[in-house]
Amino acid sequence: MREAGFTTFLVDDDPAVLKAITRLLNAAGYKTKSFSSPREFLSAHDPSIPGCAIIDLVMSELDGLHLQQALIERGSERPIIFLTGKGDVSTSVRAMKAGAVDFLMKPVKREALFSAVLRAAKVDALSRQKRDESKSIGDRLATLTHREREVLEYVIAGRLNKQIAASIGTVEKTVKVHRGRMMAKLGVRSVADLVRLADKAGITPAYVSG
Amino acid sequence: MRDGQSSDLPGSDLAKTVRNFFIVAIAYYLGAEIAFLVGTLSDKIFAPFWPPNVVLFCALVLTPPRQWWIYILAVLPAHIAAELRIGMPATQLLVAFVTNCSVAAINAFALQWLKVESPWFGNIRKATAYVFVTAFVGPALCAFGGAFVQILGGGAIEDYGLYWARWYASNALGSLTLGPIALICLEKIPFSLVNPVRRRLEALLIATVLALTCIVAFQEVPAIATGYVPALLYLPLPIIVWAAVRFGAKGASGAIMVVSLMLIWRTLNGPSLFVVGSAEANVFAMQLFLIGLSTPILLLGSAIEETRHAETATREREERISFAAASSSVGLWQYEIATGTFWATDYCRTLFGLPSGEAVNLDHLLSRIHPNDYRVASAAFRSAIARAVPLEIEFRVQGMNDGIHWIGARAQPVLDEDGEPTAMTGAFGDVTSRKMAEADADMQRQEIAHLMRVSMLGELSGGLAHELTQPLTAILSNAQAGKILLSGGKKNLEEIGNIFDDIITEDGRAGEVIHRLRGLLRKGENKYEAIDMNELIGSTLRLLHSELIDRRIAVSDEKAVDLPATKGDPIQLQQILINLFMNAMDAMDGVAPARRVISVSTVMTNEGGVEVRISDCGTGLPPSQEQHVFQPFFTTKKRGLGLGLPICASIMKLHGGTLSLQNNVSEGATAIFRLPPAGV
Repeated sequence: MREAGFTTFLVDDDPAVLKAITRLLNAAGYKTKSFSSPREFLSAHDPSIPGCAIIDLVMSELDGLHLQQALIERGSERPIIFLTGKGDVSTSVRAMKAGAVDFLMKPVKREALFSAVLRAAKVDALSRQKRDESKSIGDRLATLTHREREVLEYVIAGRLNKQIAASIGTVEKTVKVHRGRMMAKLGVRSVADLVRLADKAGITPAYVSG
Repeated sequence: MRDGQSSDLPGSDLAKTVRNFFIVAIAYYLGAEIAFLVGTLSDKIFAPFWPPNVVLFCALVLTPPRQWWIYILAVLPAHIAAELRIGMPATQLLVAFVTNCSVAAINAFALQWLKVESPWFGNIRKATAYVFVTAFVGPALCAFGGAFVQILGGGAIEDYGLYWARWYASNALGSLTLGPIALICLEKIPFSLVNPVRRRLEALLIATVLALTCIVAFQEVPAIATGYVPALLYLPLPIIVWAAVRFGAKGASGAIMVVSLMLIWRTLNGPSLFVVGSAEANVFAMQLFLIGLSTPILLLGSAIEETRHAETATREREERISFAAASSSVGLWQYEIATGTFWATDYCRTLFGLPSGEAVNLDHLLSRIHPNDYRVASAAFRSAIARAVPLEIEFRVQGMNDGIHWIGARAQPVLDEDGEPTAMTGAFGDVTSRKMAEADADMQRQEIAHLMRVSMLGELSGGLAHELTQPLTAILSNAQAGKILLSGGKKNLEEIGNIFDDIITEDGRAGEVIHRLRGLLRKGENKYEAIDMNELIGSTLRLLHSELIDRRIAVSDEKAVDLPATKGDPIQLQQILINLFMNAMDAMDGVAPARRVISVSTVMTNEGGVEVRISDCGTGLPPSQEQHVFQPFFTTKKRGLGLGLPICASIMKLHGGTLSLQNNVSEGATAIFRLPPAGV
């Protein structure tokens, strides 16, 4: 289930708590990396390492919600589990809305912690897979010529070759050639596959009036 | 006259004035009749002694000048009736009336102006003023007019000086002989001089002896020939002095009147003791003699009166003090430094639980002091007496059969004229009920302080819970990790040992939080111990750690390295610290989180005590309300009770310290409290 190299990043400014939770996760076989300073964690953060972050909500240097915000601003999608000493509904809602995986009350039970970490691992794996996929699509799109890209946008808009030819000022035959090359470069066989891919890549169809 | 006018002449209502009008008129007429009865000189006009003027003078001096016309009007018909009876012509009669009125008016006005009033001869100043005005200045002035009466009656103008002298002497004599006794009898206490019976009999005896002496002295005709006159004249003097000494101004004036009446009557109606020449000259000599005799006697009487008054006042004051001391549960004592004698009122015995009647000395009293207070109290007493300095102390005394009493003692040195202490005098009072009330108040104060701590901790509950949660989290995680390690195949015993160590440490941490909370929640006796203020601030900040983080407040501290220890109740002092920190936190709610800083500093004061300053950079105190913050129920917070600072101030007071609050120059406010050194 766990990806190779999956690491739990622990951030808590209470050294005793940090040490104990690290110990617990280690005993359960997790690879851990502990930070008693949220800023240190932030500066050492490497998004390429698969894993999740377990962050104490109340810290003097930088509190949990601000740390979460800072990570989001840096484009990190690291799943976060918050630990807190007090059950504050509004804070937990804000944390969850900002994408936290879970919000756990201290003292945290082993089962609750482990299940949250497992869920975080899933989220992390999924987001990594998605990221990989969109990265390969991007790579393939980058190989298209300007014309091929233009044709792609008209095709996913549902235009016929003839219409496309008229729009870009060429003959139907040329459009057919561009279309064939484009489909091959992107590795799709049907227009349906092409539309799904374009959707994933966020390409907007070229709508032409009339 | 004496019986009729028992009340003051200036009647406030009309009936009284009308009554006085007739009394004065009748008295005037009777006075004239008495003068004629005693005797006049050959011309029937000149009386050596003229009571009507005294009657008018008494009426005027007892009424305000705006009412004088009433009495002048009253005596006019009496004057006319009396003078017509002896056949005085109208012009002469009117001039006599005008001069009579003027002498009475001048005397009365001068005395009122000099503020001489009842008691008329109560002191030497008033008596002197009376004699000076009515026996010298007044008649001397009016005699210039009065002398004309006889010239109008046919007297030679060459004799003007003689007439002046006669007129003067006649009026001066009246003022000295009749005036004093009349005024004294018109006072509201006319018969106090003859109380009790023994005094009454003595007065009667003096009067009788005086009358007899006068008869013997003034009747002794052969003496005239033998030259024994001066001796005889002064025969009544010892009796007069006796009257003055025993009865003051009253006795003196009474005796003067008796002697004067008898001597005048004798002079006019028989062989006179004064044989100068003509009858007029003989009378004049007698008048001068009487004036000379009366003046010092009258002054002597008032001097005695004054002394007696002072004595009575002193005795009354002493009696009042004794009475007040007895009725207000105060025992008085005095210690003579020179002789070492100790005197105490009977109530002191009661206060100290000693049987009454038993002789007391200082050791005796001190030995009754409760053993717990004995050492301090007796040392304070002995040192105050030895150094003759004021003393104020409170101690407990074992009562005779009703438990323990609190006694408050005060003492003052008594200094002689040179400022040297001669004695220590003091008072003991039973302050048990006040002490009880104080104890009650103290209990209530403790209750309120406790309630404030509880409510304060309620406000802090979130942060405090977090302080407990942290170690509990560490303990649980450690325990669970240990369990996993034990269930595994390969047992890392070293790591398991570390886990147990950490669990023990964290349990200790949780225990400390609970211990501190229990202290704050506990209700009970104050205990006083040496306090390291820096340590107390540190432990308070640990307790508030989560709250401070939660409210994003940074704390900067500047603690004195060599801070001396102070003394106090750690719980109550921590309560003050928490309260001041919470106030500082609340004050910064509206400040941007990055700028929320509380500064706490400790320094040693000049007296060797400790000063703590807690500053915030919040809103500060509303300028007009700086002085109100220590008043109960005053608050600037939305949900404040307004009891925090008053409680803090009362705790500080109990510790002999001070607490103040002031706005900072730039922003925010600073709370400052100072505690005395531990040794004090």
